[in-house]
Amino acid sequence: MKSIRITLVFLLVLIAAFLSLGARCLYLQHFRAEHYRQISFRQQRKFVTEKPQRGEIIDCRGRLLAASDKFQVIKAEPRIIQDPVKLAPQLAPILDIEGIEIYKRITESGNPGFARLKLDATARQCAAASKFHGIGVESQWRRHYPMGRLACHVVGFTSLDNRGLGGIELECDKELSGLPRVNVFFADARRRPVRLKQQTGQFTDGAGAILTLDSTIQQFARDELVRQYREFEAEGAVAIVAEPKTGAILAMVSLPDFDPGDIRSADANTFRNRAVNDQFEPGSILKPIVAAVALDAGVVNTGERIFCEDGFYHGRGFGGITEYRNHRYGNMTVRQILVKSSNIGMAKIGQKLGKEKLYKGLKLFGFGKKTDIELPGEAPGLLWPVSRWTGYSVTRIPFGQEITITTIQLLRAYCILANGGRSVQPYLIKAMFDNDGKVIKLKHPRTTSVGFVVDPEVANWVVRDAMVEVVEEGTGKRAKLEKWQVFGKTGTANIAKSNEPGYSKSDYVASFIAGAPAEDPAVLVLVSIRKPNKKLGKGYTGGAVASPVAARILEKTLTYLQVPERQQGS
Amino acid sequence: MRSRFCFVFAVVYFTGILILTVHLRSANDRILYNLCKIRAEQDRLKQQLWVKQLQLESLINPAAVSERLEQRD
Repeated sequence: MKSIRITLVFLLVLIAAFLSLGARCLYLQHFRAEHYRQISFRQQRKFVTEKPQRGEIIDCRGRLLAASDKFQVIKAEPRIIQDPVKLAPQLAPILDIEGIEIYKRITESGNPGFARLKLDATARQCAAASKFHGIGVESQWRRHYPMGRLACHVVGFTSLDNRGLGGIELECDKELSGLPRVNVFFADARRRPVRLKQQTGQFTDGAGAILTLDSTIQQFARDELVRQYREFEAEGAVAIVAEPKTGAILAMVSLPDFDPGDIRSADANTFRNRAVNDQFEPGSILKPIVAAVALDAGVVNTGERIFCEDGFYHGRGFGGITEYRNHRYGNMTVRQILVKSSNIGMAKIGQKLGKEKLYKGLKLFGFGKKTDIELPGEAPGLLWPVSRWTGYSVTRIPFGQEITITTIQLLRAYCILANGGRSVQPYLIKAMFDNDGKVIKLKHPRTTSVGFVVDPEVANWVVRDAMVEVVEEGTGKRAKLEKWQVFGKTGTANIAKSNEPGYSKSDYVASFIAGAPAEDPAVLVLVSIRKPNKKLGKGYTGGAVASPVAARILEKTLTYLQVPERQQGS
Repeated sequence: MRSRFCFVFAVVYFTGILILTVHLRSANDRILYNLCKIRAEQDRLKQQLWVKQLQLESLINPAAVSERLEQRD
């Protein structure tokens, strides 16, 4: 009896043990199946991201401005290297790095899964190093800028992980980046890929961008601007060259500049593209635009004479206005007002126009809003709404005070004038192309509106008559060229003091806009130099500082583009 | 004697078939491996050529030419 009882108990215990084992199996294989499947999945599989090649950026002649190439990195995985002391001397002759340095890189790495040992390794080094446990090879992309500083503000630069951080690199980062792909491999116990299981994502190399920039013209502009910038010890300088008929930007230089291939040692202040980021009061260079608005509105005509108050004009509500260097002028036509650059003459034209028409006219020329050029950080400029204008505004804005603009806005306005009054949008990107060289997106010249901003007759008169006279007889004589008829306008704008009201007596922005040939403008050049050093005694005005630069750039560009020279005797 | 010969022949024959089967089964992976190897080599050569082109572009672009002219002056 007793033995039967013991046997029964034993059997019951055995059954209970097997039932609990069965329950445990059920729990693990059914209820926790997904969890262990995931662990097994991660253990068996290795995910390798295939990064696409970043698209190239080329100029309008097909010359490379930015491109990427692949290089090999020999890396270590510190957490699985058991004896770095033994490994380092073995790797030293292969990598051509001292053993102690290799040891430091492995043991002092902040990331237990990755330590970079050698960049730009050769195929032989990769093959020899990868035989060691814990050492692997990774391919990475590196960005090159073959032309260095030449078009740095336009092209921009990238981060170490190939994200655009400035210029076209930032603006078109999505298109240039392409689409990566994740390759899923079966991996062995040592995490080495054995077989490809699947590929997720649609792998596409980045699209390339063709710019309107011509690097030869860019070089002309940069060479001349750098020379003047250094000679006058200026704070900053900008030069833009454009086709007035289409708005295509052929060159854009901003100084000081930087080397996009060596961002780490560059001063962050140099990253600013002064052509689109900087706002300033333009001064006299705005006068032809206002004159065109007034002529188009019919408030003045080309034959009318305006009395310029013998050098001092004052009145209730608008204070006192004088001429540059206290010149005294009497009766002058609109042409003479522009040639002599009379502030009083322009103030009176502004008063004849009135607030509403002046404001509308400037808005039509694109002031007070962005041009939407394909560059980041563009400033809109400042043109107060009419409700905030005073009596001072309507007399000061015509000669370029109480309004701030960017260089690109000013260029756009002159493109409109040089283009017979037709609206034009400045642009930089001509087309995007894929890896096979096929154009995938063509960017046509944009126009913001159909029709004319000002009457073609008015635009042509301002350009071919008044602005030609500025160069022939007026303040822009240094811009005269023998082979082409140049038109232009100078601007010498006081810079407002930063910590008190009023304008500085020593700080100016010297500007000059020039174009040629006057009869059929092919090229426009705008040069603006900020704070040329007055104490050098070489001058500080637009005529002295900016116009020679503009003339030299214009001459070289017209020669390079083989623009027909003017007929003898014309 | 004859039956022994048949037996040996059958063993050898089936062994051969088995070896061939295993070989054929791994052919897919072998071909894939070779394909990946050749693609990687092709990619490496393309990149080498591209690096040469980048070096050439660095030498003949307007910025480099202008710099060399300045140094000569």
